[in-house]
Amino acid sequence: MGLIGRALELNGIATTLTSWSAGITRRLLPPRATFTRLGRGATLGLPQDTAQQLRVLKATLGLLAQDAPLEPVMLDESIK
Amino acid sequence: MSILENSAQWKEDFTQGWLAHFQRTGKESWDIYNRPRNQNPVSGSGRDLKTSRLIFISSAGGYLPASQQPFDAGNPLGDYSIRSFPATTPFDQLAYSHEHYDHTAIDADPQVLLPLEHLRRMVSEGDIGELTNVVSFMGFQPDVSRLIEETIPEILNITRDEGAQAALLVPS
Repeated sequence: MGLIGRALELNGIATTLTSWSAGITRRLLPPRATFTRLGRGATLGLPQDTAQQLRVLKATLGLLAQDAPLEPVMLDESIK
Repeated sequence: MSILENSAQWKEDFTQGWLAHFQRTGKESWDIYNRPRNQNPVSGSGRDLKTSRLIFISSAGGYLPASQQPFDAGNPLGDYSIRSFPATTPFDQLAYSHEHYDHTAIDADPQVLLPLEHLRRMVSEGDIGELTNVVSFMGFQPDVSRLIEETIPEILNITRDEGAQAALLVPS
């Protein structure tokens, strides 16, 4: 997803992403990103935890207002 | 600026390393997989989401089983095709062909990967201008050169056709 974000940004589309795998995603230098300690298959949060899903979603979308590149933002969200 | 710096070298390393090993043994060896890396960031202007058309891009393998073919989820070399469907699609019309994540969470609540209801609510509340059709693919794509040469151009075409000004990317 980091490479897709770069491609879109290079074509004038502001992009943002969230990832539970900071180690892999950070290497690609996406334009805007949030990182969590969630997990594979539940990128935005736990099932039925609407509040957590919205926190991750809104924090990630909120980055779109800023010019890229941005330093990735670490969110205090996990599967616990 | 480029999507992937040194992409030609990456492709050669992949072809001579991971892919050659797979072709020789039939086994995936992630110990020798050269994960792509960039050194230089890309620049872009921020957007006011309230006045933007947002495209949601998912790698969860979502598709419409009534009208679309599933992704080739079991292919050890990946699937580089995409599907597109309306952001208004009800979850009971979607299926997911992707064998590289546990489906327990998405089966219990699709919004863990596809926040379509959340996004639609944000549109109705004025926090997002509009939603375009969704772009969906199956995120197991070990050959990054094929991602760049096949998948990304198709995504760019859809993004342009849809008039998207901003994108939300959610990997699985």
